[in-house]
Amino acid sequence: MSFYADFCIPFIAGATVMFAAIALKYVTWLKRLPKSDLMLIAKGIPTPRTAGAVWEIFRESLLHRRIFRVNPLLGYMHMSLAFGWFLLIVVGWTETVAYLGMRWVPLQGHVFFKYFMPMNGIEGHKPFFDFVMDLLLLFVLSGVALAWFKRFRSRSMGMKRTTKHVLFDRVALTALWFVFPARLVAESITCGLYGGGSFLTGGIGAGLAAAVPPEALAMAYEPAWWFYSCALGVFFVAMPFSRYMHIFTEIPLIFLRHYSLRPEAKEKSYDNFEIQACSRCGICIDPCQLQSQLGINDVQSVYFLRDRRYAMLQQKIANNCLMCGRCEAVCPVGINLNTLRLNSRSTMRNIPNERRYNYLAGLDRSQGEGRVGYFAGCMTLLTPKTLAAMQRIFEAAREDVWWADKDGGVCCGRPLKLSGEVDSAQKMIDYNKELFRRHGITTLVTSCPICLRVFREEYGLQGVEVLHHSEYILRLMHRGRLSVKYSAATFTYHDPCELGRGSGIYDEPRAVIEAVGHLTEPAHTREDALCCGSSVANTAINDAQQLRIAEGVAQELDATDAETVVTACPLCKKAIMRGTARRVADLSEIVAENLGR
Amino acid sequence: MINFGYSINKPRVIDIDRNNLHKSNEILREMPELQACIGCGSCTATCTAGNLTSFNFRKVHTLVRRGEYQGAYEEMNKCMLCGKCRLVCPRGINTRGVVMLIKRKLGDF
Amino acid sequence: MKHVIVIGGGIAGMQCAAELARGGIRVTVLEKQSDTGGKLRNWHKLFPSLTPAGEVLGGLNHTLRRLPNIDVRTECEAAELSPRRVVLATGEELECDAVVVATGFTLFDARIKEEYGYGIYDNVITSADLEEMFNTGKVSTTSGAAPRRIAFLHCVGSRDEKVCQRHCSKVCCVTGVKQAMEMKELFPAADVFNFYMDIRMFGPGYEEMYREAQQRCNIHFVRGRISEVSPTIDGRLQIKAEDTLTGRPLKIGVDMLVLLIGMRANDMNAVLEQRCGLERQTSGFMRPRDQFLHNTESNVAGIFYAGAVTAPKSVGESLNEGTAAARGVIEYLAAKECTDNSTIDE
Repeated sequence: MSFYADFCIPFIAGATVMFAAIALKYVTWLKRLPKSDLMLIAKGIPTPRTAGAVWEIFRESLLHRRIFRVNPLLGYMHMSLAFGWFLLIVVGWTETVAYLGMRWVPLQGHVFFKYFMPMNGIEGHKPFFDFVMDLLLLFVLSGVALAWFKRFRSRSMGMKRTTKHVLFDRVALTALWFVFPARLVAESITCGLYGGGSFLTGGIGAGLAAAVPPEALAMAYEPAWWFYSCALGVFFVAMPFSRYMHIFTEIPLIFLRHYSLRPEAKEKSYDNFEIQACSRCGICIDPCQLQSQLGINDVQSVYFLRDRRYAMLQQKIANNCLMCGRCEAVCPVGINLNTLRLNSRSTMRNIPNERRYNYLAGLDRSQGEGRVGYFAGCMTLLTPKTLAAMQRIFEAAREDVWWADKDGGVCCGRPLKLSGEVDSAQKMIDYNKELFRRHGITTLVTSCPICLRVFREEYGLQGVEVLHHSEYILRLMHRGRLSVKYSAATFTYHDPCELGRGSGIYDEPRAVIEAVGHLTEPAHTREDALCCGSSVANTAINDAQQLRIAEGVAQELDATDAETVVTACPLCKKAIMRGTARRVADLSEIVAENLGR
Repeated sequence: MINFGYSINKPRVIDIDRNNLHKSNEILREMPELQACIGCGSCTATCTAGNLTSFNFRKVHTLVRRGEYQGAYEEMNKCMLCGKCRLVCPRGINTRGVVMLIKRKLGDF
Repeated sequence: MKHVIVIGGGIAGMQCAAELARGGIRVTVLEKQSDTGGKLRNWHKLFPSLTPAGEVLGGLNHTLRRLPNIDVRTECEAAELSPRRVVLATGEELECDAVVVATGFTLFDARIKEEYGYGIYDNVITSADLEEMFNTGKVSTTSGAAPRRIAFLHCVGSRDEKVCQRHCSKVCCVTGVKQAMEMKELFPAADVFNFYMDIRMFGPGYEEMYREAQQRCNIHFVRGRISEVSPTIDGRLQIKAEDTLTGRPLKIGVDMLVLLIGMRANDMNAVLEQRCGLERQTSGFMRPRDQFLHNTESNVAGIFYAGAVTAPKSVGESLNEGTAAARGVIEYLAAKECTDNSTIDE
């Protein structure tokens, strides 16, 4: 039996280029992984994590469960293309086995089996396979139709905007659009000439045979298969250099992620897996407030990853991000978008300087003494109502407190780190760490979610429990050390990004509010909460732009008609105050005002 | 330690005719709002780093605008980028952006 | 007899009403508060002559009561207006031939500038609070002691993007100078410091007053805006600023901090824009038809402005505008009568 025809050349060449390119990429990326990452992989492979990864690959790479959550139609589109194509390959392979038994057939033999059947004189069709293959083809074609539809009417798929693509993407996309219609045509003509096929290819084939003279159909036969092969070949060649590289990158990424590999503050080889696993679906565009409020269209994560992947990333793109994490929360691939952006900034701006911040040596402006340390945070010094309220709360709970920075402290280091100056930020981290250690505190309370995050993630404060004041206040209430009065007052709550999405603290502030009054949620809340726009991670937008974002947020909070807008971050408070005439208060204020006993 | 802006040895006069304003113009082109500074000093008064050192953000960026670049990069490196200045600036100047811009234009990244 | 409604019984509205009545027009003054006089009721003395506010107010009130055809309706608020009709908050409708909007301004709420500690710490007061203290004659710190060191902070809620008040409120500079001098008069032993960004002495006699404050009263003027205020252990206030003229950070402990709060546009101006077709400026104050020849007219014929409803203004300027608006109304009514008659003739 022969499984070769000239029209297979584009397919064979394309597939060869694709597999070679992918293999080269994998090998390079894996080889460049730091030793610690390689150790993690080696340790992870013989554990149940591997099975977990396989299950996730089935769920996400094939079924696209997370996209279904964004929009069912969009999810169906991705699933029909990915899972449908996957099944076509699997069932197609089974089909050849069913006809020919277990024997070696070259790749093109499987892919173009319908063509080789009459050539090799295989008679007698298997209606079951004909039916299943037609059904699957229809399944995939429905996805292609939706993809076409989405290009022109993205709103109906739950997306206001779709991605603007680069050349390789356009080539691959166009080829992909033609692959399945071409297959339909080629197989239908074959069925028209030689019979076989089910409701779809068989049906169209029969129709063609009835409508078109057999000579004309025979003339179209070879070109149709050529066209199908060319579409596949072009797609395969473009694929490793286009966004479709995500199809194969997501699979190793899921394994690596299950083995606990993560991107870090500095770039490393692992980042490639995350960057190229981006399918540029564009789901990250709509939640971005820089886009929705300010109309900035070229900085979103999808463009950031694209630019970084093709080594054309500019500072102004890397810098223009609030790092609010709204995109990260919806990314169907679960890419660590904030960390990748951070380490890009680090590559662009990190200049280790040994002498920098030498002035910190020996400083100590702290006051008081106690096992509980309170680090207000730089910004909190500009919201003294929070300071006064915390003082009242500490007094009411009879807590002896060491005030770390009442008279001005040293910044926690996170703002500098977010700007990319990672090594210099470490100097502040080291200074504060030493200060905390020297004063022997066992609990560290802060009112600033920015500080909180870096204390938890970077400080490594052994023996010191780090709490946001919302957690601390709730704990005092639970332990009976603080009692509050419930009143008829109405509140709404704004989730600060660094506290909510950043540190996963959603319930504690709400529990505190509900202890003093009635809480009404704004339209966007919890994981979906909006950013106030004043994020220290963004140094690109100007004051008017910050204000516009804040006004948008304030408008939603106003719509709840609550008497007081509560938040738990000094930056958010200052920002929201600019956009509303309503009272804006820190969580600690409403507690201090309603102390019982 | 750099005694920025004060020196016995150097001429005291800011000689706009001799200073090369090229970098200064570049900086202002990228951040036109810096010209809106009215020199109220809020940024410097609230400055976390200025609380601990002689760092004076207002003075450094004003000197840079006059074409006096010497030592500006080193001075800006004292900034901790904490963002208090941006919160207090009555003119809404993106002060943190200014720090990074001056460092980029006069430094080495 | 023609009927004109003046909205707002502050000084501009009172002056305007008096002028209209003198011109033989029936006037209704709508005043939100229980009495006419507006913000001046709470003021003690006026810059630069230190004329008691009561003198000016007394004169205006006397004229208003003496003249016939003036109906003052207190505790009465307008909700909607057009040149021929004013709807009150109660729903009552009043017919008229023209309307003068003299609703003035709102004092900036200093609590918004949290870092200055108003409403948080004792002895942080506003310029308006200080005038009230002058009026009651009880000027002291919260503990009742005489302040030994007093600071004034200019531009609170003016020229500040962070509270969305970009405009200069114009009169706070000279108010700060006046109040500093009055404090020095009351407490000769006290040191008085004025913290400012710019000192804008635009009016007649203001610059002279400034110089007198410096030279005769020995008031210290520090060029630097206060960034933060915090309480000290001994119950005083610690102030942080930059002394921009020396380029160094400055700290000072004081017994009293007076915030010179600015004028902001009334929230009602937004309603006037949305419901009545009147134009507003970006500052939120109403926009006059033009700044020169029609400064007291709105963009709608038959609706006039007087006083601080269009921009921060001094007492003298507001009074002048009251007169100017009244002249404008009289001319408008006369011209309208002419055209009305000619239409009838045809």
